[in-house]
Amino acid sequence: MKVSDFFQGVREIEVGGPKIAFSFEIFGFRINLTETIIISWLVMAGLIALVLFLTHNMTVKPTRKRQVIAEFLVEIVDNQVLSAMGKEYKWFAPYIGALFASSIFGSLIGLTGLRPVTADFSTVLTWALMTFVLIERAKIKADGIGGYLKSFINPLNIISEVSTPVSMAFRHFGNIGGGTIITSLLYFALTGLSLAIGLQFPIFNIGIPAVLSLYFDLFTGFMQAFIFMMLTMANIANAKSED
Amino acid sequence: MEMPNQLSFLSIDIGTIFFTLCNLLILVWVFKHFLFDRVHKILDQRQNEVSETYKKADEALENAKNLESEYTGLMENAREESAEMVKAATKKAQSHSEQIIADAKSEAAAIKVRAEEDIEREKKRAQNELRGEISELAVLVAEKVVEKEISEADHDRFINDFIENVGDLK
Repeated sequence: MKVSDFFQGVREIEVGGPKIAFSFEIFGFRINLTETIIISWLVMAGLIALVLFLTHNMTVKPTRKRQVIAEFLVEIVDNQVLSAMGKEYKWFAPYIGALFASSIFGSLIGLTGLRPVTADFSTVLTWALMTFVLIERAKIKADGIGGYLKSFINPLNIISEVSTPVSMAFRHFGNIGGGTIITSLLYFALTGLSLAIGLQFPIFNIGIPAVLSLYFDLFTGFMQAFIFMMLTMANIANAKSED
Repeated sequence: MEMPNQLSFLSIDIGTIFFTLCNLLILVWVFKHFLFDRVHKILDQRQNEVSETYKKADEALENAKNLESEYTGLMENAREESAEMVKAATKKAQSHSEQIIADAKSEAAAIKVRAEEDIEREKKRAQNELRGEISELAVLVAEKVVEKEISEADHDRFINDFIENVGDLK
């Protein structure tokens, strides 16, 4: 491959969305079984297996390390929910835990070379809509249906309500999706660098992307999962105290 | 119609939303049922066990304290009782020994009196015997004297003198 061929290639870089494995139509809806869905099933299966493994054969006096880990995780999530949302939202802990685990492992699956689940806008949009529904539910519960509807006399409130899930979804998607774009650009750039100094084998592709993926996959993945979780908790808890 | 085999980078796909929602709800159910509920159950059980243990320990301590005071009281009583018993026994022993000594003394006195009486009696008996023998002897001597022709009067005088002299001997 010549350097000129490479730059020809750069011009044709296309960052695609998830591939479609299978497609069918129900009631006029086109349902696509995409890469994202299949990988999210993988993540979910892994999480379920992990949960069942951790909580298998628990005893009052813990004898296994995995029980200690399970108790530790549960207590961390419980404490987070308790401090961010208060006592009346204690029952929220499993939802927050599931959301956080889905988000972080959906991002970290990118380390295996698969497409991160969270790099699909539809995924994070679903989670954000779920948060949106829970926020509105909390508001209706706090103000009553009349008080809730009255708050939309000012149409700006509609925008502020809608902007919450949209901004949450775009933040998460943008960070993870952006990471995948940068990673693919980096591969091209490093290949180009090797070619520029006359190497046929793209030697810079070894190691350097791994270091950067520490940031783009590990750190960002963790960060976005944490932010999404915190925003969900804060917004739902605030829904009650706001006017 | 040609099917696109890939969605665009930024796309909203109703199927993905549906499946993601299902996945999330299933995962929430699994987390609640198999992680949180299980761990909470274990934690509650442990909490109960710990408070139960504390309660038992407190009860045991209370019991031990009660027993201690009870036994201290009993010990005090026993000590007093034993001291009394020793005192009574000592008193009894003392009076007993005094009794024994008194008995022994009186017995010894009685024995002494009896012994003195015995000695007196023996002495008297011996005197009487001696007296009889002497009178026989005197008669014998008198006979001898009579043979040497001593008067009746002399005879009597001699005998009496003799007896008197012998009587003085005692």
